[in-house]
Amino acid sequence: MAKRDQGEHKAAPMVEEVSDFEILELAVRELAIEKGLFTADDHRHFTEFAHSIGPLPAARLVAKAWLDPQFKKLALEDGVAASKEVGIDWLNPTGFGTPSDYTDLRVLEDTPTVKHVVVCTLCSCYPRPILGHSPEWYRTPNYRRRIVRWPRQVLSEFGLQLPENVEIRVEDSNQKCRFMVMPMRPEGTEGWSEEELAAIVTRDCLIGVAVPHPERKQNAARPVHKAVHPVQHDH
Amino acid sequence: MGGTQDNPDINDAKNTSSEYTSIAILERIRKRGRVWGDLCAQYGVENPDPPWKVCLEGTCEALAVQACALPTLERRWAEDELSETLYQGVPFPERQLLALAHTLIQRGLFGEDELARRIEKVGERLNSV
Repeated sequence: MAKRDQGEHKAAPMVEEVSDFEILELAVRELAIEKGLFTADDHRHFTEFAHSIGPLPAARLVAKAWLDPQFKKLALEDGVAASKEVGIDWLNPTGFGTPSDYTDLRVLEDTPTVKHVVVCTLCSCYPRPILGHSPEWYRTPNYRRRIVRWPRQVLSEFGLQLPENVEIRVEDSNQKCRFMVMPMRPEGTEGWSEEELAAIVTRDCLIGVAVPHPERKQNAARPVHKAVHPVQHDH
Repeated sequence: MGGTQDNPDINDAKNTSSEYTSIAILERIRKRGRVWGDLCAQYGVENPDPPWKVCLEGTCEALAVQACALPTLERRWAEDELSETLYQGVPFPERQLLALAHTLIQRGLFGEDELARRIEKVGERLNSV
């Protein structure tokens, strides 16, 4: 293998031992397959689904609610029914089975004087079917412990400075109930389509640690930096 | 995130629920098994979840469909109970895994001896290279 010009590549650290828990997981799975409870392909399919989900359905739910007062009313009264309108059926979100974490979904509406933020202090409960996987920081003890005690300080660490007159409500997720935040629609988005609005409702806005901004889109093109030593083509 | 090894009170705890009795093979893993947090600290790994977590989620989902061997809500209720009794003090997702194995044995979907034999086989296979 060719060496790089500046120093050798150092591999990221890995856990170099097989734990009893890793063995137990595989043993349980193999026995379940042998007993005919599901097939190896079923299992692969569910695992693949788990890797493919993202926050777009929740962003669409918020954008739709911003544009349609009737839908907003539904979202606030019945999050599960509103989810269905944006293509997520909490009873069957994968399209081929029930979710492992079917729960009630509640949509928390931010107002000029109330800001919501979501956490799971116990473990890592998260509205996966509609928001995808939780970010790594959401699962850290740092976030889970401190957001409930010092929410204003933690939000400011995310770059969200809130005026003193804004009350912060932290909702603790659990196995039976999940939450997502419906942030306020920002100024400067008048006349925007549902698609345009959904693009500014990023994952962090839906957790509550950020607010939407007309110029910050989750699918915005990344800046392209010019190569320091570009390849020269002579032909 | 700490393991269970440091806390003798937890290690010696007997089940407090009459509905749940301890299962020897799972007790052994609960006491001796090294949790992900301990392994991360030793090897300098920062990934918050063990690599097998997504496979465990896949198993839970797959069990809830097809033959519906273990409906989701029933699994979660059992997990709640076991997390507060037998597996209290075990971190997540290790306790989720122990609770799932416990529930499957308790429901007779496979036996304790059968699981012990399979664990031995899988262990030999994974440690053979």
